[in-house]
Amino acid sequence: MQNTKILNSAIFWLSQKRWLIIATIVGALFYLMPTPEGLTAEGHYILVIVVIAIFLIIFEPIPLPAIAFIVLILEVLFSIASPNEAAKSFFSDAVFFIMGSLMLAVAIISQGLDKRLALGIIRLTGNKTWKIVFGFIGISAILSSFIGEHTVTAMMLPVGLTLLRFTNADPKQLKRLTPLLLFSIAYGSAMGSIGTPSGGGRNVIMLDYWREFGIANITYLKWMSYAYPMLLIEIPLATAILWFTFRPKHKLMDTAIRKLKLEVAKSGKMTGREMSAIFIFILVFLGWVFLSPKIGLGVVALIGVVLYLVFGLIHWDDLNRNTNWGVILLFGAAISMGLQMKDTGAALWIAENAISTLERITPNIDILRWFISVFLTGILTNLLSNAATVAVIGPIVLNMGGDPIIIGFSTAIASAFAYLTVVASPTCMIIHSSGLVKSKDYMRAGWKMFLMSATVLFFISKIW
Amino acid sequence: MKILIAISSKEYSKPTLQVGMWAAKAFNASVTIAYVGQKISAFGTSDVGLAQESIAKWGIERPGVQVLEWAFNYLAENKYITPETAKAGFQRNTLVDRGKNRVELHLKGNYCEGVDLILRRGDIIPELRNEVAQNGYDITIIGRSKKRRMAHDLVQYIDSSIYIARDLAPPEGHRLLQAVDDSKGTAKALVYGSQVAKAFKMPVDVLTVSKRESFGKGYMGAHKKALRAFEKVGIKPVSILKVGDPVSEVIKTATAKHLIVMGVSHLNPIVKFFKGSKPLKVINQCNSPVLIVK
Repeated sequence: MQNTKILNSAIFWLSQKRWLIIATIVGALFYLMPTPEGLTAEGHYILVIVVIAIFLIIFEPIPLPAIAFIVLILEVLFSIASPNEAAKSFFSDAVFFIMGSLMLAVAIISQGLDKRLALGIIRLTGNKTWKIVFGFIGISAILSSFIGEHTVTAMMLPVGLTLLRFTNADPKQLKRLTPLLLFSIAYGSAMGSIGTPSGGGRNVIMLDYWREFGIANITYLKWMSYAYPMLLIEIPLATAILWFTFRPKHKLMDTAIRKLKLEVAKSGKMTGREMSAIFIFILVFLGWVFLSPKIGLGVVALIGVVLYLVFGLIHWDDLNRNTNWGVILLFGAAISMGLQMKDTGAALWIAENAISTLERITPNIDILRWFISVFLTGILTNLLSNAATVAVIGPIVLNMGGDPIIIGFSTAIASAFAYLTVVASPTCMIIHSSGLVKSKDYMRAGWKMFLMSATVLFFISKIW
Repeated sequence: MKILIAISSKEYSKPTLQVGMWAAKAFNASVTIAYVGQKISAFGTSDVGLAQESIAKWGIERPGVQVLEWAFNYLAENKYITPETAKAGFQRNTLVDRGKNRVELHLKGNYCEGVDLILRRGDIIPELRNEVAQNGYDITIIGRSKKRRMAHDLVQYIDSSIYIARDLAPPEGHRLLQAVDDSKGTAKALVYGSQVAKAFKMPVDVLTVSKRESFGKGYMGAHKKALRAFEKVGIKPVSILKVGDPVSEVIKTATAKHLIVMGVSHLNPIVKFFKGSKPLKVINQCNSPVLIVK
C-alpha cells in the first residue's frame, strides 16, 4: 500500500514536471552532439542553455526564479563565464528598469487613479460605442507608451468591466461587446508599449544591446521619433479590426456612460496624494527624456520608486508583495544568456546559418533579415515573454548584417505583437483573468492585429 | 465524514453541488465547496493580482467569487445553512486568505457540520490533490470532464474516493449498481455502497461479471458477501451474474438511473497510467454517475 502511494506520488511528480524532464533530455542530447563547425565550445554550451531555458519558460514546470538560477548555474558549470562574470551579466540597467517599472506600476495603481482616467475617457469619447472603443485603444496606447502596458491594463480593466456591468448585468447578453472592450484595452496597451523606451522592458533591453555591442546610443526622444508614428497609425486600424471582428449589438452606451459618470463623481475632487503621485511620475518621465543618456533609464525608474517611498505614497510591504521578483530574476537570466551568446560567437553563428539557409528560398537578403527579425520575434513573443524574446533574439538579429538600428527597432517593436495567446503578455493575461474572454477570442482578433502590425512595421521600416 | 465538492460554474455544476449536498445531509458530513480558477502564467501573477485588487475597489468580483455566491444562494434556498447565516447573505468581505493559495469562507451548516466555500487558483488536479492532502476528505465529488486524462488523474492522484456526477436527478429515483469481484477494492466499496443505499433507500443491483463461462469460488464468494452486506442494512438486492468483458457488461447493465459503485483498481500505478483500469474505463465510457471507492 505504502509502495503504491510512493509510486503514485512519483508518477504525479513526473507528470507535473514532464517538461523539465524533456528539457533536460533535449539539453543533454544537444550537449553530447559534436560542436558544429564554426561554433566555439562555449558557443555550443550557451545554445544548450538557451534551448533548456526556452522549454522551461514556455511550459513553466518550475518557478521562474528556479529557471533563472539554472541559467546562472549552467553558465558557470559549462565554464562559459566565471561566477563573478555570470553574476555581473545578470544585472544591468535594463534589469534595474524592469524592476523599477514593475514597482512604479504598483505605486501608480495603488493611488486609485483609475476613476480619474475613466472620467477623462468619458469626456473624450461620448456615448457612441465605436468612439468608446477608439478612446479605449487610443488612451491605453498613449498611456502605456510611457508607463508600461501592464500598469495601464490594470487601471483600465475596472473601467471597461464597469461599463459592461452598467450596460447589462448579465455577461451572456454582451457576447460581442465584452471582447470588444476588453481587447481594446489589452491590444491598445500592447500596441502602445512600442512608443517610448519606457513602454516596456524589451525596449530597454534593445537599447542596452545597442550600447553593449557598440552600435549606437539611442536617446528617449530619438526612439519616440522612430516608433511613435507607427503607434499613431495603428490606433485607427486596430479600432477598425476589433470593431469589424466583434460588431456589437449595442451601438450606443448612453445608460452605462451616465451611470459610470455618477460612479466616478462619488470619488470627489483630486486629492493631494493623487496629485503628488502624478507629479512624481512626470518627474520620472522628464528624467527618462533628459537624464537617461547619462544615468540610464533603470536608475531614473528607481529614483521614481524612491520618491514614492519617501513621500509615503506606497509602503515597502505593498511593493514587496506585489512586485514579481521571479520575472526580474528571469529577465536578468535572459539578458545574461543574450550577452553570452554574443561574447561566445553563438549569436553570429546562428545569424549566419539562418541567413544562408533561408537564402535558398529568396536571394533578397533584406527581406530575409526583416522576416527573421519580425516574424520570428512575433511568433516567439506569443509563446515566451516578450522581454525574454528580445533578450534571446536580439543578439542574433543584430549580427545578421544590414542596418542594426532598423533591425533592432523592428525586433523590439515586433515583440509587442503579443496578440495571439493568453500567455503572450501580461495585458492578455489580465483581461483573461476577468473570466469574460475565451482563449479562442485571442486568435479570432489576434491574427488580424498581427498581420496589420507587421504590414505597418514593414512600410514604416522602409521610411526609416 | 468530510466531503469535497468541486464546482466550476453555475451552468454546469448544479448536479454536482446537488448530489454533494444530498450526501452531506444523509451522512451528516462536513462539506467544502471548492472553485478552482484558471492557472495564471508566473509572468502575470503580480499584474493579474494588481488588476484584481483594482476591480475589487470598483465592486466587481473576480470570477470565482460569483460562483461561490451562487453556491451560497443554493445552500440558503435549500436550507443547508442555518437561517441566521442565510439571512446575513453572502459576505464577500469575510473571505479569508489562509495562504497556500486558499481563500475561504466558513458557513454554519443546518444538517451537516459546517460548509466551507473556498477559492483556489491553478491546474485542477494539483489543486484538488493539495486540498485533499491538507484537509483529509473521504470523498471528492466532481462533474464529468471532456478531457481524456481527467478520470485517470482524479482517481490516481487524489487521495480520496471519487464521485463523478452526471445529470441532475434526485437519489430517490435511482438504483445502485454495485460492481463486485474478488479484488481488494470491492470490500471497501461494499461498505460505501451499503451506506449510500441505506441513506437514500435505493434499490440495489449487485453485478458480478466473469470472463469465463463458469464463476470461480472467489467471484461467487464475493458476490454472496455483497448480497449479505445489503441485506444487513435492510435492502433486498437483485443478484445479476453475467459472462463477458467486465467493463462492457457494467456499461450494458447500467441505465441512466443507475449509480455505479466500484472499488479502486489495485493494479500497478504504472500499468494504470499506460493501460487504464476497469473503473477508469467505466467512468470514461458510461453515462451513469460513478463512485470509485478508495
